Amino acid sequence: MNSSVESIVPFNQFIDSAQGDHPHGNSGDWLSEIKEKGRIEFYKLGWPSPKFESWRYTNLNKLAKTQFFLPQDMELAKLPYQDILPVDAPKIALVNGKFNRELSDLSTISEGILVNNFQGMSDEQRALFSLENPTTLPKEGLPVKALNDALLSDVLFIEIRPGWQSDVPLHIVSIGCGDHVGFSSKIFVSAGENSHLDIVESHAGEYESTYFSSCVSNIDIKAGARLGHYKLQNDTNTSTHLALTQTSIEADAAYDNFVMSVGGILSRSEVRSFIAASGVECCVNGAYLGTLNQHMDNTTFIEHAAEGSKSREVFKGVLADHAKGVFQGKIFVHPEAQKTDGYQMNRALLLSDKAEIDSKPELEIYADDVRCSHGATVGELEEEHLFYLKARGINAESARRLLVEAYIGEVIDEIQSQSIKEALSRVASDLLKKKLFERCNER
Amino acid sequence: MSILSIENLHANVGETEILRGINLKIEPGEVHAVMGPNGSGKSTLSYVLAGRDGYSVTGGSVEFKDKDLLELEADERANEGVFLAFQYPVEVPGVTGMTFLREAYNSRLRYEGRDEADAMEFLKLVRSKAKDLNMSDDMLKRPVNVGFSGGEKKRNEILQMAVLEPKLAILDETDSGLDIDALKLVADGVNALRTSERSMLIITHYQRLLDYIEPDHVHVLAHGQIQRSGGKELALELEANGYAEFFDGKV
Repeated sequence: MNSSVESIVPFNQFIDSAQGDHPHGNSGDWLSEIKEKGRIEFYKLGWPSPKFESWRYTNLNKLAKTQFFLPQDMELAKLPYQDILPVDAPKIALVNGKFNRELSDLSTISEGILVNNFQGMSDEQRALFSLENPTTLPKEGLPVKALNDALLSDVLFIEIRPGWQSDVPLHIVSIGCGDHVGFSSKIFVSAGENSHLDIVESHAGEYESTYFSSCVSNIDIKAGARLGHYKLQNDTNTSTHLALTQTSIEADAAYDNFVMSVGGILSRSEVRSFIAASGVECCVNGAYLGTLNQHMDNTTFIEHAAEGSKSREVFKGVLADHAKGVFQGKIFVHPEAQKTDGYQMNRALLLSDKAEIDSKPELEIYADDVRCSHGATVGELEEEHLFYLKARGINAESARRLLVEAYIGEVIDEIQSQSIKEALSRVASDLLKKKLFERCNER
Repeated sequence: MSILSIENLHANVGETEILRGINLKIEPGEVHAVMGPNGSGKSTLSYVLAGRDGYSVTGGSVEFKDKDLLELEADERANEGVFLAFQYPVEVPGVTGMTFLREAYNSRLRYEGRDEADAMEFLKLVRSKAKDLNMSDDMLKRPVNVGFSGGEKKRNEILQMAVLEPKLAILDETDSGLDIDALKLVADGVNALRTSERSMLIITHYQRLLDYIEPDHVHVLAHGQIQRSGGKELALELEANGYAEFFDGKV
């Protein structure tokens, strides 16, 4: 399509304007190249169409028609702590997608963990970064990647030295602020052999901000390593969050992923894991809590390309008001991936008859000696449970809150890191209270 | 003043009339047993008193400590001191026994306009009561009733009753599904809670439970009405002769 027609789409005007942005001075050439390539690629591919199987339930039409602007250098005095996961960890702050030194605290980071943003990356790291991830994206995933490239604000490069095992997590805090600003960041994680680290992401926004946030993570987990990757998406309720995580996992390594979606008017978290070798344990879990008109999409793809690996996937959601949830999960087993053990489950609790969940669990198996199961359930709070609690003096609202909290608590329990599990439980409990039960008192 | 005063109570489940004019008065400290065959309306009576949705009262009145019980929500009734021990205690996934008890206990304190209980003090209280019922700490840490045996579930009901100290306990078929040892343990728990103030309404099909929890009064419920009332000897008579005389060919 010719670009003058494309530019009529308000969002595309924004993409064009992003090309002139050289935030990093002369060292920005490399970044500019990625952006320009991304822009051309994105215009060639076009917006993800509802004709694509994986975009049937999530429509970006409205987003395309919204005009966004490049963030100015914003004065963000402090982080909105109440919306960020409370973890005791070195902190990397991204403000509108760009690394912010003042709000970051890397003083306690251990020596085995290397963190650079775009400016500090070595040529070697840039070369690594440019390598194609072994998880080959299908056609429908490409626009999101191209869009992320086209708007790229900054890059985080995190390298964990082989054998380095840390009990202290690393916290990436991404904050959006401004009126209709758009930004994009990329996180590259290389977990060396037999290393161990938990990476936590908190995505939040300054009060009353509206923004578009795109986040692509490329994760490479070498043999015997363990990586925990936990994310709280708590963006402002008017914002859009598009995330794509691609992970490749080598022999006897483990990946423990959890995404908790709470914020955003529209959010999509796509997690794609490529199991390249045997002895891998891959967990892709999540919770979503939607109210009002929120739209929350969790799309996952777990690819077993080698024999004798295990994957587990549990999602649980609570949807109220007019909220809509989408779950698309696929386990793909190659012919050589015998003895694969795969489990997948999505459960949704609907608290209103206007709330909706579209659930699409899929198995595609080309090996004959595997154990794979999947399922999906939709339900409401059970009268029997509510009455039992009320018969013990617990009022209807508290009873509902307890039951919903317990429902979500069961999936938070899947998180392997004890400290993150506890932090996320507390946040989930507060957010449930705030989003579902204290709304009337708010204003 | 009676604790509970039921007058000419009529109630439907859906379109069907189940209770057809119940009259019953319970004084403080009294233990009443309501016995009856299946389908006589025993469980309906307990649910109507506890305030379960789906049971509609079509006539009559129920006073509890001079309050109109039927005006109150289920949780308000509980906080006023009505406790229903369920025939089939409900499994509540994800909510631990301790959390459940604390919420219930604090709900009552808030209802009475009092401060919530100190967490440590409350833990001690629950532990000591659990010990009396031979319940382990582990059972309190697990989700309420999930994976419990029949006997464990019933003991859990009695534990809740012991912690919440109701004014009127309604025990709905508490003996069902219990072997003799479990039954003794539960009965001991109930007997330990008998005081000169606390009243109990024991709903049962069989006389067996009444060997262990001795009632002051026994009533026979059939066709949604109390057909006969008497002392504890009435239970023995029913055990010997069955409920046949209350049917007279009627359903």
